[in-house]
Amino acid sequence: MIEVIRPGMQSTVQDAGRRVRALGVPAGGAADGAARRLANALVGNAPESRAAGLEVTLAGPTLLFHAAALVSLCGAPFGGALVGADGAGRPFAPWRAVPVRAGDRLSIGGTPAGARAFLAVRGGLDVPEVFGSRGTDLRSAFGGMQGRALRAGDRLAWSSLPPVRPARAFVSPELRTPVGPDHTLRVQVTPDGTPDLLAALTGQTFTVSAQADRMGARLGGVVAAPHDPARASVPNVPGMVQVPPYGQPIVLLPDAGTHGGYPTPLVVISADLPRLGQLRPGDRVTLQPVTAAQARAALWAHERGLRQAEWALRHWYAGAGSAPLCCAHAD
Amino acid sequence: MSGEMSGADFDSLVFTCLGDAALSVGTPRARALLADLRDTPLPGVLEVVPALAQLTVLFDPLQLDAAQLEAALRGRLAGLPERPAHEPAGAARTLVVPVVFGGAGGPDLEWCAAHAGLTVGAFVSALCAQTLEVAFLGFTPGFAFLTGLPPFLRMPRLDAPRAQVPAGSVALGGPWAGVYPSGTPGGWRIVGHTDLSLFDLSRPEPVPWRAGDRVQFRAVTAGGEG
Repeated sequence: MIEVIRPGMQSTVQDAGRRVRALGVPAGGAADGAARRLANALVGNAPESRAAGLEVTLAGPTLLFHAAALVSLCGAPFGGALVGADGAGRPFAPWRAVPVRAGDRLSIGGTPAGARAFLAVRGGLDVPEVFGSRGTDLRSAFGGMQGRALRAGDRLAWSSLPPVRPARAFVSPELRTPVGPDHTLRVQVTPDGTPDLLAALTGQTFTVSAQADRMGARLGGVVAAPHDPARASVPNVPGMVQVPPYGQPIVLLPDAGTHGGYPTPLVVISADLPRLGQLRPGDRVTLQPVTAAQARAALWAHERGLRQAEWALRHWYAGAGSAPLCCAHAD
Repeated sequence: MSGEMSGADFDSLVFTCLGDAALSVGTPRARALLADLRDTPLPGVLEVVPALAQLTVLFDPLQLDAAQLEAALRGRLAGLPERPAHEPAGAARTLVVPVVFGGAGGPDLEWCAAHAGLTVGAFVSALCAQTLEVAFLGFTPGFAFLTGLPPFLRMPRLDAPRAQVPAGSVALGGPWAGVYPSGTPGGWRIVGHTDLSLFDLSRPEPVPWRAGDRVQFRAVTAGGEG
């Protein structure tokens, strides 16, 4: 059992999200999907287990563990510390599997860059599935912990898996989702991308506004937007860049509504979607158009690294602890 | 694979790439194609999301690319029967939505009636006389875009959306009618309120309607089903 002592700014149960947009239900899921995969792999949660963990935002929570657990924190460089039941402090290293003892308090602090990290627990957090996911939908208030962010006093259970020797490995820095303050997001152009609109969107650097959450990040800066009140509402897809009539672009994140009626001239490529979860108010964003072939090459490069790390860690937990760890480097 | 589709259908077939993991297909056969894809999923397709005469197909770009998906979808379209087998006229369900028109729950009713050049009573009667149809779901969980409004009942959206529209608000916007399942911002004209719950996770089917269902508004008085 995990007892929430301090909830942090916005800590929510998340996983890989849902696929029921056809019912109007947003995808949800961890905003930095690469961090989610790596954190789960580090504690031996298989990808197909769809294990849920805790997504922390800007200021992390303090959690009291009532039982021993194996955890890992991946994502933005949050500070963290463990204090044992005897009051003795221990450092807490991100990007590693960290054994936690019964009675330990894990305090996750703030982060100097980026916005979110994913705390995985071996076995996965045990909350009911809604539409095939344990993730929290904050707007419609379902999933996760009663459809809301954590509060002090909440108790979270996890599913138990056989105990293991923690992987003696850390995730290679090149696999970590880049954090700000400067982001280049690679995008593909849609038929909404008129030459004028493209020139405006790709010719300037935008600043992430204070209106940045799990639904979307509004970019400061204005482009001359087309206005078509008769435009039909069509499905949104991950990473879409919407341009509403007032001209401030919005990059859509996992909790975005399923359909929208604004022009969407650009879509962030799949390889760069995890970066959206690290956009922080004040960060600078440039949008760089790439071809379909470039998007595909970038995705394969990204995926190859993630899969190698997942494979190496799976190998470790399968009992071959001395196997060479490829992209998850051994100590 | 040949001869099943008319030339008109091919003419109006439009594929649009939306990034590297989604392909939109615009076709008058969208609903039949959706049923076909649900019956027999295509490998690598993660999700198919309907809109009006359009499907957006989300796929795993590690398994296939947009060109391969487009070819597969063209094949499926060519294989669909001439008459859409999945949308026979008599099979759709009809959902009656009891609505308290006007008052605090329908602040725009009088404006809408005036815009239509009708008395409030005639406006409500005209709206309730229409059989609407669920074109597709989206926006928020349980929200349905209802089509079938005659031109005189189509209302312009508000210039500035309301920050908060109460759950159960029955609203008109452009060609659409709709009911807000939960409190959200909204830019449509609110003509009434229903107590019907449109998103309830305690039910086996949390959402009461699906694309193709017929919908009829029925005027009731506050506090009862009239």
